[in-house]
Amino acid sequence: MMLVRAFVSHYRRHPFQLAALALMIVLATMLWAGVTVLTDQARSSLFQSEAAVAARVHVVHSDGQPVDVDDFADLRMAGVCVAPWLEVQRPPPEGRVVGIDPLAMNCFGESAPGGGAGTLDGTPFLDISEAAHLSREGHESRLYLLAADKNLALPQGYVSREFSLGPPTGELADSFLLNLDALSLLVLLITGLLVRSVHRLGIAQRGGSFDLLYRFGVPRRRVRQLLALELVALAGVCVLPGLWLGAQLAGVLGSGFGQALDSLFDVTLYAGSADSLPWQAAGVMVLLVLAVCLVDWVVPQHWQGVAGSRRGRLVAALILSSGLVGVALAPNLAWVFAGTALVFAGAGWLTPGLLALLAQRLSDHASLDENDLLTRWRRRELAVMFRHLALPVVALQYAMATVLAVQALVTTFESTFEDWLAQRLEAEFYVEVPQGADAGLAADRLRKLEGIGAWHQVSRGEARISVEASGSEGDTVAVDLFALNPIGDLVVGWALMASVNQPWQALEQGGVMINEQLARRRQLEVEDTLEITLAETVTSAKVVGIYSDYGRPAGEILMSGATLPRNFSARFESFSINPGALTMAEISEHLAETWNTHDLTVRDNASIRALASQVFGQTFLLTRAISLLTLVLAAVALLIMGWVFFTTRAWYFRLLGIWGLPAIVVRGQLRRLSVTLTLAITLAALPLGIWLTWALVSRINPLAFGWSLPMDLYPLFWLELGLVALVTGLVIALLMRRQLVHRASEKQVER
Amino acid sequence: MPGPILAVERLSKGFKSGGQLVPVLRSLSLGVRPGESLAVVGRSGSGKSTLLNLLCGLQTPDDGIITVAGESFHRSGNTSFEARWAELRRRSIGVVFQEANLMPALSLMDNVRLRAHLAGHLSGNERGWLERLGVGAEADRYPDQVSGGQAQRAALAMVFAMSPALILADEPTGSLDRHTADAVADCLFAMQRETACALVLATHDTELASRCDHMLDLSGAG
Amino acid sequence: MRVHVGFIVFCLALTVAGCTDSSEEIGFAGLAQQVGEVDESGFLQPQPGDTLVFPDDWGPHPQHRIEWWYLTANLQTRDGTPLGLQWTQFRQALQPRDVESDPPDADAWPLEAAWMAHAAVSFDGEHRFQEKLARGDVGHAGATAQPFSVWLDDWRLQPMPGSDDWRLQVNGDGWGYDLRLSNTGDVVAHGNEGFSAKSASGEGSMYFSLVDLQIEGTVTLGDRTLEVSGKGWFDREWSSQFLKAGQQGWDWFALHLEDGHKLMVFRLREDDGAFLSGSWINANGEVQSLGGDDLNLKPASWYESKRGRVPVEWRLTIPEQEVDLIIAAPPGEYWNTGLYPYWESPVSVTGSHDGVGYMELTGYSD
Repeated sequence: MMLVRAFVSHYRRHPFQLAALALMIVLATMLWAGVTVLTDQARSSLFQSEAAVAARVHVVHSDGQPVDVDDFADLRMAGVCVAPWLEVQRPPPEGRVVGIDPLAMNCFGESAPGGGAGTLDGTPFLDISEAAHLSREGHESRLYLLAADKNLALPQGYVSREFSLGPPTGELADSFLLNLDALSLLVLLITGLLVRSVHRLGIAQRGGSFDLLYRFGVPRRRVRQLLALELVALAGVCVLPGLWLGAQLAGVLGSGFGQALDSLFDVTLYAGSADSLPWQAAGVMVLLVLAVCLVDWVVPQHWQGVAGSRRGRLVAALILSSGLVGVALAPNLAWVFAGTALVFAGAGWLTPGLLALLAQRLSDHASLDENDLLTRWRRRELAVMFRHLALPVVALQYAMATVLAVQALVTTFESTFEDWLAQRLEAEFYVEVPQGADAGLAADRLRKLEGIGAWHQVSRGEARISVEASGSEGDTVAVDLFALNPIGDLVVGWALMASVNQPWQALEQGGVMINEQLARRRQLEVEDTLEITLAETVTSAKVVGIYSDYGRPAGEILMSGATLPRNFSARFESFSINPGALTMAEISEHLAETWNTHDLTVRDNASIRALASQVFGQTFLLTRAISLLTLVLAAVALLIMGWVFFTTRAWYFRLLGIWGLPAIVVRGQLRRLSVTLTLAITLAALPLGIWLTWALVSRINPLAFGWSLPMDLYPLFWLELGLVALVTGLVIALLMRRQLVHRASEKQVER
Repeated sequence: MPGPILAVERLSKGFKSGGQLVPVLRSLSLGVRPGESLAVVGRSGSGKSTLLNLLCGLQTPDDGIITVAGESFHRSGNTSFEARWAELRRRSIGVVFQEANLMPALSLMDNVRLRAHLAGHLSGNERGWLERLGVGAEADRYPDQVSGGQAQRAALAMVFAMSPALILADEPTGSLDRHTADAVADCLFAMQRETACALVLATHDTELASRCDHMLDLSGAG
Repeated sequence: MRVHVGFIVFCLALTVAGCTDSSEEIGFAGLAQQVGEVDESGFLQPQPGDTLVFPDDWGPHPQHRIEWWYLTANLQTRDGTPLGLQWTQFRQALQPRDVESDPPDADAWPLEAAWMAHAAVSFDGEHRFQEKLARGDVGHAGATAQPFSVWLDDWRLQPMPGSDDWRLQVNGDGWGYDLRLSNTGDVVAHGNEGFSAKSASGEGSMYFSLVDLQIEGTVTLGDRTLEVSGKGWFDREWSSQFLKAGQQGWDWFALHLEDGHKLMVFRLREDDGAFLSGSWINANGEVQSLGGDDLNLKPASWYESKRGRVPVEWRLTIPEQEVDLIIAAPPGEYWNTGLYPYWESPVSVTGSHDGVGYMELTGYSD
């Protein structure tokens, strides 16, 4: 008992250290718990949204007649799980609404659109009785009978067809979640470093007492046991409020976003998260605290000395370069992640030493006259600080690099996704060609319509390709075929990743474009020649362009519809139409007349686009929030550490005052020192952040999904980060200044 | 005979302790001329350090007047005093403490340079001062790389390099062994005489005190 | 006795999902109006003196808010293993409709009424349950009096062609049943000529039963098809409001005793006691109504189930009839885990009489 008392007496004398360590654990737990909850929410919101817009099946009459409520009742009574989906097209601004029957959707169980009845709540969804009412008021409407499963046993006279509620976002979402997971790991790493840094501070000061205990005959093993016990107790106590705070944090963020985004799926996305604490996060946190604080027992003593030495730096440089090379050449994701870990380890190891070295060099170069002597002193002080504050410096560097990368990634995701959507949903409306109708007749009709805007006919089907140049006989693969006719204004604006000169003309003249996935998988480049098998007709075509295609993994080729063989039968045909001077109703009328039907599916793409964008909007916000929180925590940690460290240096700032330097000048020196510290870390974070951005968009994505994202940098955000660093530095100086004032009073006598 | 570089009249200072004012110095008067040395002795807590702090403006008196190099300061209230004191410390008053007189981030040489630079006496002969105080060989070392005695010699070099009119030394040899302490004290007195500056030395070492021209015992004064 | 808060909860969910009804109209605790009065929303409330009208009362009552068709059966497989089975179809009106008015157009996807069906099979310690939902007046769910037919999707109770018997078909996920029901007795009207009081202040429902059903058919469980036969109990009940404020749930029993007597007992649990009622039916079909003074019904042992503490064993005494029974559920969990979970299990009867039956307990789920 006496031993325990002697053991913890340190904290009685230095309650601030105990408070700092506790605060660090609380904050770290809060952040990790918050991140866990937010990530889970992001994940489930994406899944929900995806489920809601995922491709489904709908049931139609095999003779092409439209289905009605009696068909619904008949199918249900035949034991088929179908649910009505009544789309009503109203003129803008109301646009499209969808009537659903939540009761009927009950039979889908988990596979219902949106995951269950009640989720599809709010615009554009409403109860089908209200939608039916609108329809009876004369608005154009169309009833679909949705089914969950393609392999339905249907009564005679019915067949199932694919039905898409929106563009496929599956892979983009997966990629996003993967990056989110990587981000969470980084957060864990950063918080670990922070906890360790504060703990080390205490241990360094307690070294003397431990030695004394050893001399008194207490075995070192016993001291370690007590130390571990102390940590477990402290972590146990601090993790709980941390968890609670984390859940609150997530709740506040979640509900804030939920309110801010009056979106389709906002009802249940963030609700209920604050009720249950993320307990698994608590376990992870306690383990992390133990691991980072007690790692010294595992790492041999002489290794730790090596860390700061020249040989240590050499090892770090080796680790860093092997990580860089590893990521650049990695054959699969696991290697990329391993390489990234090496890069971070190497960079973190090197940074404080290099910064210190740099400060030292700069100090040596300060000339010996006039004010430069003070500058020299300041730079030397800076070098000392970089060494002593190595861990929080590295943590802040990591945090900043992460924030940089996430910001770049998220912005890139957003713009890329927008662009891609704009490409895919190129026209204001699209009209499905009904089963059995002749698309050619309609095309002729549209061609003759005066005042119509840009339009083209879309045909989708299957093709097989083989690469002529590869020489490997018989190596053909199935790809999706995407044909457009005419090649016009709706597509020529597409951003191509690579292309020949005047690619769209080349496409019109028989060239073929391929999506990025196909290009990467088959190592195809522009100018390569493909052998394309379409409806048993084999043709050769040159690759004239490569386009990005984020939705799915399938390879796809894009051709001009005019070059399709006559006997080619499309799986799906539609028209993308900008009405131009006409109204869509007029155009629909012409088409209906051509096809002699009133059963036309006209879709308003703006609402589909809005739906898909909202899916990502929320997640992007969450991600930004997570990375910013990490940054704040790292900054707070540096603040604490800086403050503690400065306390040990306070005397020397006072000495400057004793030497006759006016107080204002001393404070100025202090400010310059702390701001230089934080800005230097920001600068050190830049290359790591840029590299991380590159690794995320150019290595992780292609390996995981077969397509890359463009690499964009956002220097304006760097400035913002610099501002954060500036503020942190100024706050450190401010805190310190209070300490100088305080200590410069009567107590100084004792010196 | 030159007038005193330092004159103190009716100086009083007390501290609040438990809501009561505990007097430390009561109506103290003294004067030190250039080239003179004054030892301030007394038991611990008798106010030696307080007096030294008052003499260089790091603390303000409750009453009385302090005149240093012709400039008079009385009981504070005037903010310009602070700046004038700072200027005096920078150019004319050298302060030496028991330890930690040097910036740990700078070499001994750079410490001396910085101090001389602040005093406006950067002459390029700073290494000379270190050599004269017997630590020329250690000039490029850092404070944590030299012994306590060497550090105090460097601290003295730093003070003399600024060519002060007044040196305030608070137990300058207090943390050194006898032998080293004597050597450092020898240097101090030799240089003081050579530069003819005034010295106020606070110590409870009577032997050291006896080497000064005058002695002020605060034990009775408090 | 079957009152389903669950159904009401389910309809509350409907309002969330965009239905037109407002939740105040269907709250179950607002039984404040006078008996017999047509409430503000226009629903009719049964009152003493109301009588049963056949065959109309086999069909739906659009002026009443809630009603159900309900079968429980104590069957045996060929080798004598007991098998319990339940089927219930509920109608919950969101707005009342005159009996004379035409139903709304199916094209309008009306939401005047919602339907819910429950089916369960309890066999060999395992309890299977499934729930189906539908809106009324669209066609895939409904009921008619003549010919008598009740259906929701492909679950249906309808006449057996060329006979007076009924056929009940249910297809759950991986299980189902197909049964022939033969009625050998008369309609049993509970309470006062069919008006069954549900509280001391006189609110109640219309309630009658068929208690002499002979059942045979097949039950499919996975890839096993079992031939079964045994006795059934069929209930019809309708009302507009059941639970008073302060009533927390109910315990309901329908028992076939070996000497040919049948017994229906229910207990509505109130804040300060309980409302007890029942019917004692002799082998000839003569009915004696039982009130709180004639009956004593108490839990005898409790079971810590996954969803809450459930009284799985009961002591029932009817002193006048020298009845002193222990009613016990077999081991196992018999939760019907639909929108509103409740306990529904076959029971065995011992004591002064032996027998079998069914027990429904609501308000015990956590």
